[in-house]
Amino acid sequence: MNIFKRKVKKTVLVCCGTGCLANNSFEIYKGLKKKIEDLAVNVKVRPVVKATGCNGLCEKGPIVTILPDDVFYCGVKVTDVDEIVENTVLNNKVIERLLYFDSAKGKKVRSHKQSEFYRKQLKIALRNIGQIDPGNIDDYIERGGYSALRKVLFKMSPKGVISEVERSGLRGRGGAGFPAGLKWRQCAEMDNFPKYVVCNGDEGDPGAFMDRSIMEGDPHSILEGILIGAYAVGSEKGFIYIRDEYSLAIKNMTKAIEKAAERGFLGQNIMGKGFSFDIEIVRGGGAFVCGESTALMASIEGRVGEPRIKYIHSTEKGLWGQPTVLNNVETWANIPVIINKGAGWFSRIGSKGSRGTKVFSLVGKVRNTGLIEVPMGITLREIIFDIGGGIIGSGKFKAVQTGGPSGGCIPESLLGLGVDFDSLNEVGAMMGSGGMIVMDENTCMVEVARYYLKFLSEESCGKCIPCREGIKRMLEILEDMCTGKGREEDIELLLEISETVKEASLCGLGKTAPNPVITTIKYFRDEYLAHIKDRRCPAGICRELTVYYIDRDVCRGCGLCRKGCPTEAISGEIGSRFTIDTSKCIKCGSCKEICRLNAVKVLGGAAE
Amino acid sequence: MKVMIDGKKYDAEYGEYILNVARRNAVNIPALCHSDALPGQGNCRMCIVEIVDKGRKSIVASCAYPITGEIEIVTNSERIYRIRKTIVRLLSASAPDNEYINRLRKEYDIPPETRFKVDRDGKCILCGLCVRACDEIGVSAISTVNRGTTKRVSTPFDEPSTVCIGCGACAYICPTGTIEVNEDEGRRVIWNKTFELLKCSECGEYFITREQYEYIKKRYDLADTNELLCDKCKKKGIGDKLTNVLHNVIPVQK
Ligand SMILES: Cc1cc2nc3c(=O)[nH]c(=O)nc-3n(C[C@H](O)[C@H](O)[C@H](O)COP(=O)(O)O)c2cc1C
Ligand code: SF4
Ligand code: SF4
Ligand code: SF4
Ligand code: FES
Ligand code: FES
Repeated sequence: MNIFKRKVKKTVLVCCGTGCLANNSFEIYKGLKKKIEDLAVNVKVRPVVKATGCNGLCEKGPIVTILPDDVFYCGVKVTDVDEIVENTVLNNKVIERLLYFDSAKGKKVRSHKQSEFYRKQLKIALRNIGQIDPGNIDDYIERGGYSALRKVLFKMSPKGVISEVERSGLRGRGGAGFPAGLKWRQCAEMDNFPKYVVCNGDEGDPGAFMDRSIMEGDPHSILEGILIGAYAVGSEKGFIYIRDEYSLAIKNMTKAIEKAAERGFLGQNIMGKGFSFDIEIVRGGGAFVCGESTALMASIEGRVGEPRIKYIHSTEKGLWGQPTVLNNVETWANIPVIINKGAGWFSRIGSKGSRGTKVFSLVGKVRNTGLIEVPMGITLREIIFDIGGGIIGSGKFKAVQTGGPSGGCIPESLLGLGVDFDSLNEVGAMMGSGGMIVMDENTCMVEVARYYLKFLSEESCGKCIPCREGIKRMLEILEDMCTGKGREEDIELLLEISETVKEASLCGLGKTAPNPVITTIKYFRDEYLAHIKDRRCPAGICRELTVYYIDRDVCRGCGLCRKGCPTEAISGEIGSRFTIDTSKCIKCGSCKEICRLNAVKVLGGAAE
Repeated sequence: MKVMIDGKKYDAEYGEYILNVARRNAVNIPALCHSDALPGQGNCRMCIVEIVDKGRKSIVASCAYPITGEIEIVTNSERIYRIRKTIVRLLSASAPDNEYINRLRKEYDIPPETRFKVDRDGKCILCGLCVRACDEIGVSAISTVNRGTTKRVSTPFDEPSTVCIGCGACAYICPTGTIEVNEDEGRRVIWNKTFELLKCSECGEYFITREQYEYIKKRYDLADTNELLCDKCKKKGIGDKLTNVLHNVIPVQK
């Protein structure tokens, strides 16, 4: 099988994003490099080995891609290095074992671009990631990098840039979906200098890593976007706020800034066009609320990262009271493409009110987890069942949670929903920064609401009463429900407090915090009722609301369960039926795990 | 410019807060964290009102919302009342023994709390006025510490503050009477720090701490003077300056 074109220079891309690095991909990178260098004497064209940013399939990492033929290997180990070089790089032989298994097609595919995971995606913000070495500015330039900046400086007026971004329909990707062009226009219209531009790379949603991937894998695209924005609004100074844990992102962004300055893309009189701009990285302390725009600005100014009232827009009074444009990492990364390909091109992608694509981190009970970028308007079903490959294991889909900790849970009946800013809001969820967690039937929705409220209660800054006290009391009610102490009138009380927290809180955290509660009550009220009235947790998750018992018809009396029980709650004679003394049972589940015949059941729990 | 409040037209200056316009015209809006001297905190959210601005409806904190156009304001709709009532209920669950909050609870016709675990020692509603007052005086001895439900007001590391001048402005402005000030025999204890009190040279009553006196002297660049006059005996002199400092911060209210 010779699928390789001859005499084309080969490139070996080794994913060195955080996920793959954790699985030793740097050793693989070094191994491949050394092996090829050692062999160099015998090879006509010397392949290039590059360390790239995250490919979005971390779970299947480490990932190695060989170009131009696009052979895609996953789960690569250091011990595979020799074979990859000898077979695939030098002799054009594909190693079946390392190919990607496409669960939708039920077979292995050579290039993951042929897979369902990739086929429905469209990469704009993630266009270069996995394809370039983020540490090498030439890689970026080779793929058209900084040409948008050149175009803007040489051919476009600031006003022209703003109207291009406005016409593109780009809305902020950090959560609220505010039109980027309008924000820029508001700032440009202020004649109060200095002005600032800020990049929000705080990414506080637990489990989300879209912004991190862009900062790690394609830092120059963000810089270029910021430069274009700064030129448009008349700013000479920018800040990139990155949470402190993101060490690789900080490293790669720092290097990108150095390299861009060396090439004259940053600093005084850029490209000789009289535009000057400098940028600084600020490390964030990591509180979730610091991602909120006013808290973030307070933090940059060196004050406590707490939100403040913003009836006056940041575009008028932002950092140090000066006009400021703050956009999210992904928003900035879209800008160079919009300038190069035009507002017309961009606005034809996506849905009516939400143009372009959105990056999601798809996680939970789906087969393919990872980072995806899809045109807006794509249905939840396509995301979960085509790209995600459906539910993992034998379970059934139950809900998908979008929008981070204060997003909402969407039920099966709404899987046909086209995903965009407005449609998600309409069903009570939200876009947030793009977290998407798929849940199967073994998930208790009351527990889900409790879990998020717990997170939010710890992350609320505590400044305003509705958020601080409201979340605290909602959590108290949910904890009661999960332990069998819920009361009949609690659902109404939850909704009443929700209204107050949503309407009266000071910042976006409080205003969205009730979403997990409201949506689970709206779509899964039965489960609440089961917890309150029947003292039963249908999913079998809330420990106090389940009973373990042994099914007499299945038990053969082997006695294994008795050995496994830490509290001696199980009794019986070998060969006859065993029983559980519910007063002693602590519901640890050991017996259920041990029993080979699946005779241990959970009452109130889901069917196996 | 004109604004409509509860169906009536009133004059308002550009940039003026809704609450100020309402109060000037005797329209009552409850406010827990507002002081005319320290406006625009927006922490308690009791002062929320509904506004319609260019056809768009929203709920805003009237104490911090600047009027920049001809808007319509509703201060007492059923919805607003319901939300305020919930806020009071939430507060009273956390500070059931506080007189001030109890008064509010009764005003809103809320029965004593039975659903939630009540905190017996809770009093402070974290309105932030004390911290703002101390900042305004230029001392900044207290601040909020922690976040979320564990947030509270304290001195750094809960130690007696090295900078506190014992002026008592924080305690004076506190709507819930949370901050304890104990005075006897020429001593004042506040925030776990003991201060020596000085007497008014006219009437002979204790009225000012030594630190406070020194602070004011320094701040107003006053030459050493033996004259010390309390508020009541106000004549020209340092007592008057003191009144000014404090009255900049603490409006004559209560
Ligand atoms: C509690 C809270 C947390 C937020 N966290 C983030 C974040 O981590 N990253 C982000 O870009 N925006 C975050 N936002 C949204 C920002 O406030 C802001 O709207 C956004 O960064 C603006 O950029 P955009 O218009 O490009 O989306 C958060 C908002 C709230 C209320
Ligand atoms: S809504 Fe919550 S996080 Fe936001 S200011 Fe109020 S207390 Fe702080
Ligand atoms: S007594 Fe005065 S200086 Fe001390 S904390 Fe209170 S306001 Fe600040
Ligand atoms: S101590 Fe008093 S003034 Fe200070 S925050 Fe608490 S309630 Fe407000
Ligand atoms: S880090 Fe390699 S795929 Fe994400
Ligand atoms: S008085 Fe307006 S928020 Fe407290």
